[in-house]
Amino acid sequence: MAKQHNMRTRKKVGNAVAYTVLILISIIWLFPFVCLVLQSFRSYITEVGGMVDYLVPKKFSLDSYKFLFSGETKFLKWYGNTLIIAVFVAIGQTAFVLCVSYALSRMRFKGREFLMRFWLILGMFPGFLTMICLYFLLKQFGLTQAGAVPGLILISVASSGMGYYVCKGYFDTIPKSLDEAARIDGATRAQVFFGMIIPLSKPIIIYTALTAFMAPWCDYVFASYVAFGNDNGYNVAVAMQRWVWTNDFQGYFTRFCAGGVLVAIPVTVLFLCLQKYYVEGVTGGAVKG
Amino acid sequence: MADKKKKGKVTAAFKAIGADIKDIGTTFAQGDWKTRLSFLIMGFGSFTRKQFVRGFAYLGTEVLFILYMVLFGAKYLKDIGTLGTVKGGYDANYVYTYGDNSFLILLYSILSIFIIIAFLFIWRINVRDNRNNQNKLSVPSNKDDLKSLLDERFDKTLLALPMAGVFLFVLLPIVFMICIAFTNYDATHQSPTNLFTWVGFENFKNLVSLKTGGFGHTFGTILTWTLIWAFFATFLNYFLGMAVAILINKKGIKFKKMWRTILVMTIAIPQFISLLYVGKMFAADGLVNTYLMKWGWIKEAIPFWTNPTLARITILFINLWVGIPYVMLITTGLLMNIPEELYESAKIDGANAFQTFRKITLPYMLFVTGPYLLTSFTGNLNNFNIIFLLNQGKPQSLELTGGAGYTDLLVTWLYKMTVNDTNYKMAAVIGIMVFVVTAVISLVVYNILPSVKDEEGFQ
Amino acid sequence: MKKMKKVLSLLLVMAMTFACLTACSKSNNAGNGNDKGGSSTVSTEKPTLADYGSGTIKIWVADAAVEFTQQKCDEFFKANPDMAGYKVEIQPTGEGEAAGNMITDVQAGADIFGFAQDQLARLVAAGALMPLTGYYENFVATSNDAGAVGAAKVGDTVYAFPITSDNGYFLYYDKSVVKDPSTLEGIIADCEAAGKNFYMEINSGWYQTAFFFATGCKLEYTTDDTGAFTGSNITYASKEGVAALKAMINLAKSSSFQNGSSVDKATNLAAIVDGTWDASAAQAAFGDNYACAKLPTFTVDGQTYQFSGFGGFKLLGVKPQTEQGKQLVCLALAEYLSNAETQLARFKALEWGPSNLTAQADEAVKSNPALAALAQQLAFTIPQGNYPGEYWTDATSLGDDVIADKFDNMSDDELMKVLQDFQALEQSYAK
Repeated sequence: MAKQHNMRTRKKVGNAVAYTVLILISIIWLFPFVCLVLQSFRSYITEVGGMVDYLVPKKFSLDSYKFLFSGETKFLKWYGNTLIIAVFVAIGQTAFVLCVSYALSRMRFKGREFLMRFWLILGMFPGFLTMICLYFLLKQFGLTQAGAVPGLILISVASSGMGYYVCKGYFDTIPKSLDEAARIDGATRAQVFFGMIIPLSKPIIIYTALTAFMAPWCDYVFASYVAFGNDNGYNVAVAMQRWVWTNDFQGYFTRFCAGGVLVAIPVTVLFLCLQKYYVEGVTGGAVKG
Repeated sequence: MADKKKKGKVTAAFKAIGADIKDIGTTFAQGDWKTRLSFLIMGFGSFTRKQFVRGFAYLGTEVLFILYMVLFGAKYLKDIGTLGTVKGGYDANYVYTYGDNSFLILLYSILSIFIIIAFLFIWRINVRDNRNNQNKLSVPSNKDDLKSLLDERFDKTLLALPMAGVFLFVLLPIVFMICIAFTNYDATHQSPTNLFTWVGFENFKNLVSLKTGGFGHTFGTILTWTLIWAFFATFLNYFLGMAVAILINKKGIKFKKMWRTILVMTIAIPQFISLLYVGKMFAADGLVNTYLMKWGWIKEAIPFWTNPTLARITILFINLWVGIPYVMLITTGLLMNIPEELYESAKIDGANAFQTFRKITLPYMLFVTGPYLLTSFTGNLNNFNIIFLLNQGKPQSLELTGGAGYTDLLVTWLYKMTVNDTNYKMAAVIGIMVFVVTAVISLVVYNILPSVKDEEGFQ
Repeated sequence: MKKMKKVLSLLLVMAMTFACLTACSKSNNAGNGNDKGGSSTVSTEKPTLADYGSGTIKIWVADAAVEFTQQKCDEFFKANPDMAGYKVEIQPTGEGEAAGNMITDVQAGADIFGFAQDQLARLVAAGALMPLTGYYENFVATSNDAGAVGAAKVGDTVYAFPITSDNGYFLYYDKSVVKDPSTLEGIIADCEAAGKNFYMEINSGWYQTAFFFATGCKLEYTTDDTGAFTGSNITYASKEGVAALKAMINLAKSSSFQNGSSVDKATNLAAIVDGTWDASAAQAAFGDNYACAKLPTFTVDGQTYQFSGFGGFKLLGVKPQTEQGKQLVCLALAEYLSNAETQLARFKALEWGPSNLTAQADEAVKSNPALAALAQQLAFTIPQGNYPGEYWTDATSLGDDVIADKFDNMSDDELMKVLQDFQALEQSYAK
């Protein structure tokens, strides 16, 4: 009896410690975001638009947000560009990844092993190495500066076949006997792929599309390399990073915060809604490699 | 032993090529006139057999190839030895005429070489096709050909576009940049107004040179930090992330979903916002320092970003903030897969929490997540975003050359060289080094891992 | 196997003969290099054409100047209807980014672009600027102050149109905190007492020279007309250099010191070494306590020095053009954008201090407090010349080392060694 009582208190203490740690962790994890949101409500007109040494604005104001929508800046255009890129990249990458994964998972053809190994090796080269070369390749097709948006989509989609690991791992877990049964019934490979495998792959499709959709919001390195000298081709990351890093934009910090919030909201909401699939994808990917 | 194997493979490859060429010879010797003509006019044989789809494919390839070479490829390919000789210049009215563009000469020469190889390959298929079909009575009809692309040869259909994409936008640029490592392409040899040319192994010598302005010492420092970083970033995140997952999984903890969601926010919010912001928070005059000073906890600002050692530690810590949620997500599900009985019996045996973790949880997790650890490690070797968005590799030092800083990874150093200094030749060399490091580590670890060896085992 | 080799070698031989033939036939067509010839451009008459043709002229200026530039371009084409076949397309690409972008891809870059002078040699070396001759060379030489004219030159060739002479720095401070802005020690003491920050970007090669030039060090490079560095005169490894370095080290030790030069990124600000472009931001930050002054003096080992520094310039460059019509329109437009009226209007609209002598003489310019402080400081500064890109990187390294307290406990001899290495490194960039 006493022992049980003892255990119970120990459990209670243990839980209390766990809760404290969790709350502490939550504070640390949320703190930057809270700061970001708070600072976005500081007015750059009546207060200071740059960096300050206090956190809570003296007066709550929507000036920074108004600025973004006011047309004084092309923020909406950049936001639209990013959205377009994200949507098309999500569609294109998913299609490419599904094709490659199916071929590699289900079909055995000459050069398959070689192809997989070769792509693995290619993936070990750092991406920035090739930026200048990609820029001139794109330029050849007229897809830089003003044409940066389709250019960025093209590059992201074209190289996406190499990212098949997670998806192929998922296909590998779908029993091959299903395919074979369908093939005996006279279905072609294409029919199996479109009619059977794809409907079975909802989680992995969502995972692939979600990760593909999220990446362009963060792409500032290559995007700025492709779009330089034409702000109609910028995405939000490129444009907003200029507000922070170049000296031409004085007092834009609160506007950066406001823009950041506007970028973060849809991506975060989407992510949280589809979290389940994301977890499935990364877990599967982690185990399969 | 591995060496022998490799040698064997190489000789086998040569033998195969030899045999192939011999086969071409016999095809020609034994072929009928249609086959022989197909050597010159591709697809001729197919046309005579009414395989129009194939015929057009072969003939089309040949026509396109010739057009490409005549109109485009040849004029670049001829200059590949020099990468151009004609410099741009002004005329009497200062109107400028651009000369040879070394960059494009190299780029399109490589493209042309690829296209030639691809053409030879298709030509070979054309020859083989003729040989296979010349004596057959029934050959696949056009309809069969097209149909097979959706069935037995569906892989070709599926892979055509992705492979073309990788070929043009991944492989071609990589080969190009490898070539750049052997040229003097830098700020003073910039296309299109200046020419650059081949210099052999000059840049590699510079990389290991320890003279003033040589990259040897800096390369050593950065490589070491890159490895240390990747190690700590991977394993600190791994263990602490797992700890957090265990904590949330703990019986009696409520709102599990909420805790996870809070952590997962860092994955969802684009890093260029969160990391840029966090980087500023830790500046000498940033929020963290000013509040610590306001509260009187410290007298002088903590040099988070300006002291080399502290900057490295700060980055590792902030990386925990980024990385723990990932590991938490991955391990949460896996932890629940461990049979409860194992823990029960351990408890009965009197094992404490740490012992059960060490004896049961860890071995299982390490086994299952081995591939993740490997990809995470190689990912961290090239973790550009966190370093660059937080502090751009600072602080620099006179002890390091080439604009490198103490928190620079090889990949951020490479980026700086490309974008700030347009020192493409050294950037290319460093890129090759990054590849070598990644490849060696992957190879070593890959061969140790038990769970990746048997690919078919999962099916 | 053998056959393969034969085929390969045959292909190779064919390719090589082909290459030889074609290379020989065209090698002497366009290779005039930088020869100056032909009387038409050397004449001091403004070159004209009967028909300029039409097209688009891309212009890069700082974000704040886009509207202003657009307005001025409209005026220009109204005044020159014969050139009105051209449209302008203005993009906000600041002086800081323009050079990097131009160098990445000259052909896709702007036709007319503003840039800070430190990028000049780099741009010339990359072939992104066309040399100015005849009428335009004359225009630049006669209408701007001597510093600006020097700044637009690489070797003996003029490469750009100066538009401002205000790219120097001085002190902005808060009157209520800093009582006496004449000595660095006094400023630091006031800031420390008030618990506020003093900003100076000592890890920038641009601000760092304020120390080194003050003690009498030299940092000069000579270039040839193509932008290549041919010689140097650097005296950092000297007693004076050590004194300057010690002054930096002392400054960095203060708890009030912050490394930075941008008002909008500064917090808890009391004083900052900064330029005219931050005038309005500083006014906003300090409010009624806004004040400017020349840079203070500093004392090392009992000896007092006056802060020096760079006097710099902003320039407008024209990219080498492949069509004469467009080239002439670009030149005329660039001239218009840098002439006295435009510079004065630019000062009124954006507070950019003019380089044009007529504009400088204007009362409004003379009475501007920030420009007055700059003018005072000008007596102590050295007009900025051309420096290799590596200098800026190395100077940042030196400054970072100072801030990281690496030199804190070093003796004079050890500091001398550091500067000797630094000097040797800088000298190695000039061949």
